[in-house]
Formats: sequence, C-alpha cells, structure tokens
Amino acid sequence: MNLSNGLLNLTNWLGNVIMPTMAGLFAAAAVYRFSKGHPYSHLGYAALASLMCSGLLRAMESFSNQAAWNNPDRYWISVLTLVNWVGNVLLPLYGAGQVVLAVAHFAGLLERMTIGEAWVRNLISAMCCFSLSGLLRLGEFWVQHGTGGVR
Amino acid sequence: MTLPQIIVDLLTLLFNLAVPSAICTMVLAGIALRQEGGVNFQTGGKFQRWVLWSVILLTLPQLLSWFAAQGITMPAQGGGIGSAWVASLQTSFSGFVSNVVVAKLIPLLAAFCVLKAALDAAEGQSPLASIIAGLFLLSVSGTVQLMQSWNSGSEFATTDMLTSAWNFLAGTILPEAAGLAIVGAIFNYARHRPFMPLVGSGLAFLSVSAIWQLVQAMAG
Repeated sequence: MNLSNGLLNLTNWLGNVIMPTMAGLFAAAAVYRFSKGHPYSHLGYAALASLMCSGLLRAMESFSNQAAWNNPDRYWISVLTLVNWVGNVLLPLYGAGQVVLAVAHFAGLLERMTIGEAWVRNLISAMCCFSLSGLLRLGEFWVQHGTGGVR
Repeated sequence: MTLPQIIVDLLTLLFNLAVPSAICTMVLAGIALRQEGGVNFQTGGKFQRWVLWSVILLTLPQLLSWFAAQGITMPAQGGGIGSAWVASLQTSFSGFVSNVVVAKLIPLLAAFCVLKAALDAAEGQSPLASIIAGLFLLSVSGTVQLMQSWNSGSEFATTDMLTSAWNFLAGTILPEAAGLAIVGAIFNYARHRPFMPLVGSGLAFLSVSAIWQLVQAMAG
C-alpha cells in the first residue's frame, strides 16, 4: 500500500462514483426548490458539475499546463487562462441564456412562474418530477458529447 | 581505543533498530496529522517533527558520516551482534514492529480514523481529514520503503531525502489533491459556501513547483 495510490483511488471514487450519484440528489433538490419558487439554479449547475468532475479537473490541468513546471509565471498563466476561459467561453454561453430569458420575460412566461401565479411553475415542476431520470440522462448525454469539445 | 564488545553490540543494536523506529515515528506522524487537521499540518508541529525524526532515523549512518568527515570520531558501523542476548533484543523489537505495529495496530488505527470520519460527517464536518489520515497510516510501511529508496547514501542524505519528499508531495500527491479540491468546490457551491478558495488552491496544487520558483525569483 502506498499513499499516492490511496489518494488516487479516493479521488477517482469521489469524482467518478460519488459525485455522479450526488448529481441526482442535487437535481431533485433543484426541482423541489423550483416548485416552491425559490432560487434553484445553483443546484442545477451543481448537478451538472457533479457529472463532469473529471472534465473540470482536466480543464484545470490544461489551464496549469500552459507553462513549464518550473516556470515562475505558471500560476499566473493558469489563472489568466481560467479568466480567458470564463470570459471567452462561459460568458458567451451565459449571455445566450440571458437572451432566451429576455424573450421568455417579454412573453410573460416567467411572470406565470412566480408565487402569485404559479400554475406554469407547478406544471413544469410536475414534469420535472416525473422525468428526473430523463433529465439526468440528458445531462450525462451533454457531458459525454462535451468530451469531444466544441465543434 | 577499542570499545568493549557489549558497547559495540549495543551500538549495532541501535543502528539496526533505526528502520523499525522510523516506522513507529511515521505512525506517530499519522496520528499527529489528524490532530493538526488531517488535510493540513502545523508549521513546526508534531507531524513535521515526527516525519523529520523518521528521515533522521532512516539516514542515521549517512548523517553520522557527515560528522565523521568533520573529524569527529564516530563508532564503527556494520557487523553482526556478538551477544546472543542483545541479538534477541533486536529480533524482539523488529518482530514487535512488524507483527504488532504494522500488521495489527496500524490497520486498527486507520479503522478508527474511518469511524472518526463517520462521526465528523454526522457533526456536519468534512470527513476527508480523517480519511486522509487513515490512508496515511495504512501506507506507513510503503512510505518508509519509498523513503528508503530516496536515500542518496551521501553525507547529505538527510536533506536529500527531505528534498525527495518535497518533490513527491509537489509532483505526485498535490496533483491528486487537485481532484479532491474540485469535488470540494462543487459541494461548497451546492451548499452556498465559499468555493473559489478551492478552485484557486486546486490550480495552485497543479503548479506548486512553479510557485516555489516564483518565490525564489522574488527573493533572488
């Protein structure tokens, strides 16, 4: 037995076994909070992130591998790459989501999901409750297809 | 001056007990690791001290050769133990360490760490600290073998071994810890707790050698 193997196996077990399982719990909690009209998006994102622990670690490794191991600027370059990734990849995707939300708001859909008028929210919650496994499979499908990169 | 045979035997006994003693000090280091946080250690704390003693014990002949090189007379090393009684002492202690400490006590201590992890989780604390201390304890004999392979055999074997330990931490253990940092960041994000420190430290784990170079460049 050695410490390195022990830690490696612990990390693999947490990242590849426990976290994908926890994704289901996070998704269920997100649906519940959505049904009550509470903020739920962080739980949805957490469920998605739980499905791609390995991918996130690979992303961080690629951020830090931009410079040689003994390059004093390596940490700065890795943080810079992280900032670039957030600015050039994540924010445009988030912006596209905001455009969709703007259209939904303009159409008045989201007003029908508030506490006062909740029938759309209740309907969507019921659909999510009945199809949680399908939603998780959808998340897994996205993650699996994301391993090939953006084309 | 010729030393009496019993003194020579006792000195040989002490040298031969260095490796089993190193295993014992590594067990104490594992216990100290949990006391000091499990995923962290105190600077100048018990964990560091016990690991340092392990390194000193594993490089005792080389360390003494440095003193000998300064002109200080050192006892002769090597050779067998003449006295049957002293030889039986060595056999007993080595057998105790391998049959009791390594085979029985260490798995038991690690099992108690798992119990502690479950109780920590029940109190709402992270179970990771006890799990990592348990892994450290379970791997003590393997770690001592690894440390022995780092013995350069030179007069500076003690510091060479510490340098190798740093390289092992920076190059092998910390990149694995980056994966744990990602898992912790996701959990903290889901629970509305600070997660950016874990993202930043995960990146730092992957480039700790470069940060060391950066600090050296700043100081130089």
